[in-house]
Amino acid sequence: MFDLPVVQAFSMAAMMTIGIALTALVVGFIMALLFCAGEMNKHRWLSLPVTALVTIIRGVPEILVVMFVYFGSTQVLFLITGDYIDVSPFWAGVAALSLLFAGYASQTLRAAINAVAKSQSTACQALGLPPLYSFFRVILPQAWRYALPGLGNQWMVLLKDTALVSLIGVTELMKQADLTSATTYQPFTYYALSAAIYLLITLLSQQLIKIMRRRAAYYDGQAEV
Amino acid sequence: MEWWQSIIDSLYLNTLSLGLVETLKLAFFSLLSGAIIAVLLTLILQLKVVVLEPLVKLIIVFFTGTPLLVQFFLIYFGPAQFEWLRDSWLWDYLSQPSICAILALALNTAAYSALLFKGAIEAVPASDWLACKALGMNVRQTLSVVVSRAARQVLPAYSNEVIMVVKGTSLASTITIMDLMGYAQRINGQTYDTLVVFSVAGAYYLAINGVLTLVLRTVEKRALRFQNTMG
Repeated sequence: MFDLPVVQAFSMAAMMTIGIALTALVVGFIMALLFCAGEMNKHRWLSLPVTALVTIIRGVPEILVVMFVYFGSTQVLFLITGDYIDVSPFWAGVAALSLLFAGYASQTLRAAINAVAKSQSTACQALGLPPLYSFFRVILPQAWRYALPGLGNQWMVLLKDTALVSLIGVTELMKQADLTSATTYQPFTYYALSAAIYLLITLLSQQLIKIMRRRAAYYDGQAEV
Repeated sequence: MEWWQSIIDSLYLNTLSLGLVETLKLAFFSLLSGAIIAVLLTLILQLKVVVLEPLVKLIIVFFTGTPLLVQFFLIYFGPAQFEWLRDSWLWDYLSQPSICAILALALNTAAYSALLFKGAIEAVPASDWLACKALGMNVRQTLSVVVSRAARQVLPAYSNEVIMVVKGTSLASTITIMDLMGYAQRINGQTYDTLVVFSVAGAYYLAINGVLTLVLRTVEKRALRFQNTMG
């Protein structure tokens, strides 16, 4: 149906899409933890700016965040160094997508951490565990169960948002569809092909999330999957 | 008032306001048509109409499982591939970017909303249906009871959907529509004043979403007032 170069190009592009999404997931999750810590901090001078940043990220269009990070970072670098430094579109895209993911994921994480019984952290204190140790080994594993459904949804959103990175010149699925349809004059075929690949990736990760949720809820008695 | 004018000029407020109008128009028409389509889709799913039900399920999977940008491009650039489509009367509409943008946004939001609506109707307790039956209500009266309850329940989730549509309109700039994002990109290309232009555009979007959130929250509070008085 499709000749070999097209198949190769689209599989490369699909790998790129998945690569960007996974990189942004890892960076975004770390950022989400930081945002979460910032928002839950008792000092207002720290929690207020973080809350404001998260509100801004959630309130403006995703495409604006991507463009702002890509073109904005060039301008900031120019103001600092006085030279035009090319920012890698890949890393600008990853930064923007991680920010977007973290903006939403931090809310899910915060709710999940709050849902873990207060007595758990009290018990950690009573046992004399160091605060970071008790957070990562006691609180977070329990919060994970509550956070997983929300984080799963946000992963799907992240996957779909990767398409925006094509606008700043990363050759992922969307961009590949652009390029191929421009040379073949068959826009419908190739945009539909990329849509089908996106659909395949989202449906697969939906199944994966289901399995993860079942595993996370293993000790809950009745799993509500 | 010279300083005032210079602030307006340096923040590109006049140009961006032109885009604001276009953004609001797009959001309004997409939400309106999206809500109508969503109700139709929900009805088809709920009544299990023979051939249409699997088709609707397919539409929902497609529009919720692929990026909005792909949907925009597929609807705007896709039809040009088919000669019979270019020769038909449909082409007059499909060649207009604003109609394509509204179509893509409306179908996208309709797919997500249909899932919300379906969930809300299924969340209405069976006792409500039974009570309507026991009171001897006909189908229309029963529906009015059930739908009003489901509509109240779905409001908070639907508010999120409204915000998503407003944010989604920004993608219309990729198919040549000069909305807020379109003007921001044009000014950025002309002046390289990136940080200012995109910050101001972002502030416009934040303002729209802020106002919408406040309005929707008030509506929710009024619609769900009975819960508070009962509690």
